[in-house]
Amino acid sequence: MESIKLRKITSVWILAVFVLFIVSIILGILMRLNQGGVINQNPVTFYANMTTHGLTMIGIWFVAGMAAINYLMERYVKTSYTVNLIALVLTVIGVLMFWVSTFIGKFHAAWTFLYPLPFKLLGAESWSTLLFLLALTIFGIGWLIWSVSLMTQILRKYSISQAFAWQHFKKNPSVDTPPFILISMITLIGVIASLLAAVVLLALLFAEYFSNGSFVNDALLMKNLTYFFGHTIANEMLYLGLAVIYELFSEVSGRPKWKTTWYVALAWNCTLVFILTAFFHHLYMDFVQPEGFQIIGQMASYLASLPAAGVTVFSVLIAVYRTKMKWTLTNLLFFIGVAGWVIGGLGAVIDATISNNVVLHNTLWVPAHFHTYNAMGNVLFSIGFFYWFSTQFAENIKPERFTKWTLATLLIGGAGFLLAFYYGGADSIPRRYSVYPAELSIGAPWAVVGAIFATVYLIAILVFFYNISKRCLKILSSPS
Amino acid sequence: MHQNSILLLFLALAVIAVIVFTYVYLSSKNAEQSEQGMAQPLKKRFWFLLILFVILAIFASVTIPKSPYFLFADETPAKIVHVSSMQFAFFLSEHAIDPKNPSGEPIELPVNELVEFRVTSLDVNHGFAIYDGSNRLITQTQAMPGYVNRLRYKFTEPGTYNILCLEYCGMAHQIMRSSFIVK
Amino acid sequence: MFKNIVFTIITIIFALIANAQTASTGMEEESNIYEKLFDVPLHVNDGQQIAFSTLYHQKPLLVALIFTRCSGICSPFLLQLKDNVQLKPDDKSFQILVISFDPRDDLEDMGVMARKFGLENDPQWVFAVTDSIEQLNHSIGFHPVWDSESDQFDHDALLVGINGEGYITKKLIGIRKRHDLDLLISSVNNVFSPTYRLPSKNSLFSCFNYDPKTGKNTPGLGLLFIALPAVLTVLLLIFISRVVHNRLPD
Repeated sequence: MESIKLRKITSVWILAVFVLFIVSIILGILMRLNQGGVINQNPVTFYANMTTHGLTMIGIWFVAGMAAINYLMERYVKTSYTVNLIALVLTVIGVLMFWVSTFIGKFHAAWTFLYPLPFKLLGAESWSTLLFLLALTIFGIGWLIWSVSLMTQILRKYSISQAFAWQHFKKNPSVDTPPFILISMITLIGVIASLLAAVVLLALLFAEYFSNGSFVNDALLMKNLTYFFGHTIANEMLYLGLAVIYELFSEVSGRPKWKTTWYVALAWNCTLVFILTAFFHHLYMDFVQPEGFQIIGQMASYLASLPAAGVTVFSVLIAVYRTKMKWTLTNLLFFIGVAGWVIGGLGAVIDATISNNVVLHNTLWVPAHFHTYNAMGNVLFSIGFFYWFSTQFAENIKPERFTKWTLATLLIGGAGFLLAFYYGGADSIPRRYSVYPAELSIGAPWAVVGAIFATVYLIAILVFFYNISKRCLKILSSPS
Repeated sequence: MHQNSILLLFLALAVIAVIVFTYVYLSSKNAEQSEQGMAQPLKKRFWFLLILFVILAIFASVTIPKSPYFLFADETPAKIVHVSSMQFAFFLSEHAIDPKNPSGEPIELPVNELVEFRVTSLDVNHGFAIYDGSNRLITQTQAMPGYVNRLRYKFTEPGTYNILCLEYCGMAHQIMRSSFIVK
Repeated sequence: MFKNIVFTIITIIFALIANAQTASTGMEEESNIYEKLFDVPLHVNDGQQIAFSTLYHQKPLLVALIFTRCSGICSPFLLQLKDNVQLKPDDKSFQILVISFDPRDDLEDMGVMARKFGLENDPQWVFAVTDSIEQLNHSIGFHPVWDSESDQFDHDALLVGINGEGYITKKLIGIRKRHDLDLLISSVNNVFSPTYRLPSKNSLFSCFNYDPKTGKNTPGLGLLFIALPAVLTVLLLIFISRVVHNRLPD
């Protein structure tokens, strides 16, 4: 099935993701401690750390999803080891460049680097902006090659209509498209579109940077492109995790494999359309955007929840409801992750309502909801896969002691840290503030609460890291 | 007020989600080998989707007309306030603001009358968020270079209102602020 | 050394970018908006004296400020305005007032000017002078500067929109396209648009252009850039599918 080389490179991805994850969590805790007044960072340091935290998190959970579907895709089609390796090398180079730009160069325009802020930073080294843009270019190249390569491999075996499972709209289709292939395909399309948006964005930024001021960009266009890229890639990385769930949930539970049906095919084809237009909800407070686009933004955000809830979430619930099955850490993490995804989605739909967005936009409500479906959704999908992967090749695995306690720690830490965000958001506390003004001092205790619970969450992650990396290192040291 | 009801709605929905997932998990834990899972899942799925669709459609049709772009569109404002934002200050003036030499003045606004803020930025994107006397965010718009956003609002309570920047704009974003009085 | 050169270059680039950004905001057009016009007495074409307010109470006004001895922008400015207005012969929702800001101009000079452009019998056009030009200039925010060397005023070509209540609704500086004139006309007729662009040199890549005639936004070139990633992805998908299936006919 899959080669030893693929096994090893997947282990490297997992180890890299874990290490970067732990560093990023620590940066996040430091940010909350600073907001709580427990420590006192220079604002430039705070915002540079915020930039590192944001882009590192987006990057690692994207590559974690990609590494997982690359590994599982080998069951259906041959994938390219070379491309996987190129993506790994370019990601590592990109991270090094990016960290130099933030940790040393103090680049602090946030991971969304909203134009024209990268060109107007005070307190950062003048070279840091160029280095940051080059790091993004390296990521873009590596990830674009990777996703186009995976898409090409799918298309070698399946025609376009089969890859999108269109034959399932008719009765008794002659060819079966596995749900894993369908979701991977849909997600890769979204990933490629978002990366191409980044390419256009970077081209325009470089054009302005090197034009000696004779070329100035349009701020509205740049903001649209920023969120086309940023929103879409953040959303698609979650769907990469769902592809893994469709493939593995039934398998680890000892149940019959899920099949593509007409409604699964329909749901995912609809998702493709909704996801590419939902990013307009990031521009609700830009009245310069025509009203039609704002309404499309709200509609697409609402509609995107229908296939997600009605098909994927419902399928997971049906698969579990009154069904005797084998519960392992993997499917338990998947199951809890789906619940986290649902709750984060509820917060998202509330915020994607224009009339609510007026009082929620850029408050802590925003990090509240996206941390919910990332920290308590996507992360659990990926760790579930990491655990499953690491136990594939280990001899006589003893069921880990304390698994229940680790999970409980994770849940308590996650819930507490997220509630501090939600309550802060409802108290109108702005996001991305290094410290809070006197009249919003209520934000500080919430930040301390958040930091404490995030530390609890970190403890659970460290336990997972210890157990999983132990086995991954063994895979790496095994003879090839 | 608005925020509190949003938080309550969210917490209620989140609790329901937790209960459903816990219940389903326990039903699997306690299941006998012979149990067949859910009866007629396709039919239930259809009803679930339909109900969800109807709820969302109602929610959309109620909320969309309350979007800020449609509020007060047919009225003529009693007062215009020009707002120019730059790293890291807001200039508010009843007269247009010269971008080469921006300056502001203290602003006093009438209560219960329509006010229009014409918000723009002289450098990067900023946010223009208005907080009331009890430090609640009541309305906001973005300040985008090259564009003017027209935010209309009727203040019903006299008092001092604070303005904070709600779009991250650099190292002193957290201290970028201003205020005005409503009488 | 090298570091210094790079630093200097970067500083210059940044200064230029910053400069271009501020210069492009065009806030001069924002001054005095929604302020009431100072009600000066006017001497109009046929020699009668009327108040400015009488004129704008009849119909909203587009006010063009010129002087007849101008050797520069005034003539092309008026010519362009005439051409643009004649392209919409059915729109009689406004009047155009051409007023001189040069105290040397009298009604006779203005009459010559009207004849020069063939507008002396057009009821939509009013040519006038006033004895209180200082107050009028001040209330509009118009500041011509006398240059004794060239015997000319150094001034902008300014077109001001005045609604039926005498408030300044919008200004246009310089010779502008028809689209901008349409915006001005809709503003004097009190049509609300929730937002507007400030004039800038980079409007090439703007996403939307507001069409005041229909009150709708029309797509701009920038919108193409937003759609581009999705379009490219679809093309890439089709291209790859073609290539792999041609190579492997199975």
